[in-house]
Amino acid sequence: MNDMTMNSRLAADTPPTAQSGNGAPMGGSISIRNVTKIYDPEGVNVCAVDDCSMEIAAGEVCMIVGPSGCGKTTLLNAIAGFHSITAGEILLNGELLCGPPKPKATQGADRMVVFQNGALFPWKTLAENVAYGPIVQGRMGKAEAKEKAYHMLAEAGLGDFGDKYPGEVSSGMARRAEIVRALINEPKVLLLDEPYRAMDALTKSIMHESLLETYDRTKVTIFFITHDLEEAIFLGDKVHIVTTRPCSLKKTVDVTIPRPRTYESLSSETFRELMEEVNEAVHEEAVKAFQAGERELA
Amino acid sequence: MTTTLNPESTADVQSVRKQAPTGLALVWYRFKKSLVTPQPYLTFVGIFLWLFLYWLLCEGLKVDRFDKIPGPIAVAKDWFSTTPFQGISIFTEDYYNHIMVSCRRILIAFTLATGIGVPLGLFMGWSKKVRDYTFPILEILRPIPILAWVPLAILMFPGFEGPVIFLATLASLFVTTLNTMLGVQSIDESYFRAAGCLGSSNWNIFTNVVVPGALPFVFTGLQISIGVAWFSLVAAEMVSGDHGLGYLIVDSYMNNVTVPMVIGMITLGFVGWFTSALVRIAGNRLMQWHVKALALQGR
Repeated sequence: MNDMTMNSRLAADTPPTAQSGNGAPMGGSISIRNVTKIYDPEGVNVCAVDDCSMEIAAGEVCMIVGPSGCGKTTLLNAIAGFHSITAGEILLNGELLCGPPKPKATQGADRMVVFQNGALFPWKTLAENVAYGPIVQGRMGKAEAKEKAYHMLAEAGLGDFGDKYPGEVSSGMARRAEIVRALINEPKVLLLDEPYRAMDALTKSIMHESLLETYDRTKVTIFFITHDLEEAIFLGDKVHIVTTRPCSLKKTVDVTIPRPRTYESLSSETFRELMEEVNEAVHEEAVKAFQAGERELA
Repeated sequence: MTTTLNPESTADVQSVRKQAPTGLALVWYRFKKSLVTPQPYLTFVGIFLWLFLYWLLCEGLKVDRFDKIPGPIAVAKDWFSTTPFQGISIFTEDYYNHIMVSCRRILIAFTLATGIGVPLGLFMGWSKKVRDYTFPILEILRPIPILAWVPLAILMFPGFEGPVIFLATLASLFVTTLNTMLGVQSIDESYFRAAGCLGSSNWNIFTNVVVPGALPFVFTGLQISIGVAWFSLVAAEMVSGDHGLGYLIVDSYMNNVTVPMVIGMITLGFVGWFTSALVRIAGNRLMQWHVKALALQGR
């Protein structure tokens, strides 16, 4: 089957609400309103997130920057539905994900998470991993899902690796495959938790280009947690700097560098100025976090 | 330009480009490679040295107390004789009968223990409720030595087969269950979260995350459990049995024929090793992903 017929068939199969005219999934907007999260391990209350509010527009790349262990991941986990929030509410496209009547969001394929340490199932090949979502959701048959998986892997430059296990490919390829596994479900939001943390600078730069390319193609909303300021400015439309624990919004920086961005953007004057602005705000929080000397909360 | 390459290194480059060997060719390649390392020679010398020490103690110097034990030459003579002096050799039907009876018991016990232990362990690891119900009881029963169960087993089961199979099953059941449970608990939480994100039902998570994720631990457990099954089987055969390798050993001792006793012991060693290897091969076949990942780490 050639690509043309495949694309048209795939477009016909998916509901119109999840697709714009050119076949790309549309991003969803997220509103985080006065969210507070208190953990009580061993009877001691720990406030991880305190009265945190932010608005993320549909199709926006939103970067969250803050010191280690400040509660960024807690926020992500709340959006994904991995755990509950104590107060406040989170909305997706104006619909309540979690809030007063319902402390914990339902997990769903409209919000796909890419994990810090990677969570491709090591016992499935890359193609099986990618095909897994549509199969268990009952959206596609096994053969159809597999076919689309190979197709999407090829689009991401992983055409020859569909039959490899995650343990057999490089960490960069595994991470790229994990993003493909997320995108095949046509999510409204992609939640990334420091996905490139353990990578060397060269691999990272390739991953960035690939993510930007994916974003330009899909315009999915991206919620991206990072420590890397350069990464934050290079990828983001907005950089939200959050305070050390308890986490709340400290400052939002709009990144005015036009898209599509290339590595030449990194040496521009605007980039340098933004970098200074973000750095100043983050450094203040990093010093506070260091002085508090608290252990990171998972 | 690569004009400086000598013919030999060009050949190397070409062999790199060739397809990597697989299957039997790979086994042959590894065998050939191992011949240039000291490993096979050291193994050979090691075995020889141990045998020599055994011979020296029992037959060469006839050290006190050791002279009552049949030495390697006496054992080998009987073992490979068509007319064994003490009744057991590779040419007697009795020898194979003992092996068959023990293997059959192991097969039944191991199948039962795996059939019960693996599902039980999976559910104990996966569901806190099941674990709360079963774990305390398991932890109290587990430390009871298998030999302490012998009288109860004889009272509970009629005949010779029942008690022996029960004891072997029980011993390997504990190992299999515990390892399987630990296997499930060792699965990284993010796999469960990822599966949840992707829209899995509970059953999807069980079949796609819990079972494959626990498999490496399960097979480690099965290798230990088949060893434990042999151990308790032989103990049980010694107390209550009418055939089998354990019975052969204790029966020979009672009748003061020491050579079949040693033959029985060595045979147990080989059969036990063979069954463990079978479990390992089965595990590797089922977990290609695991084998490949380990191979890339150079193991």
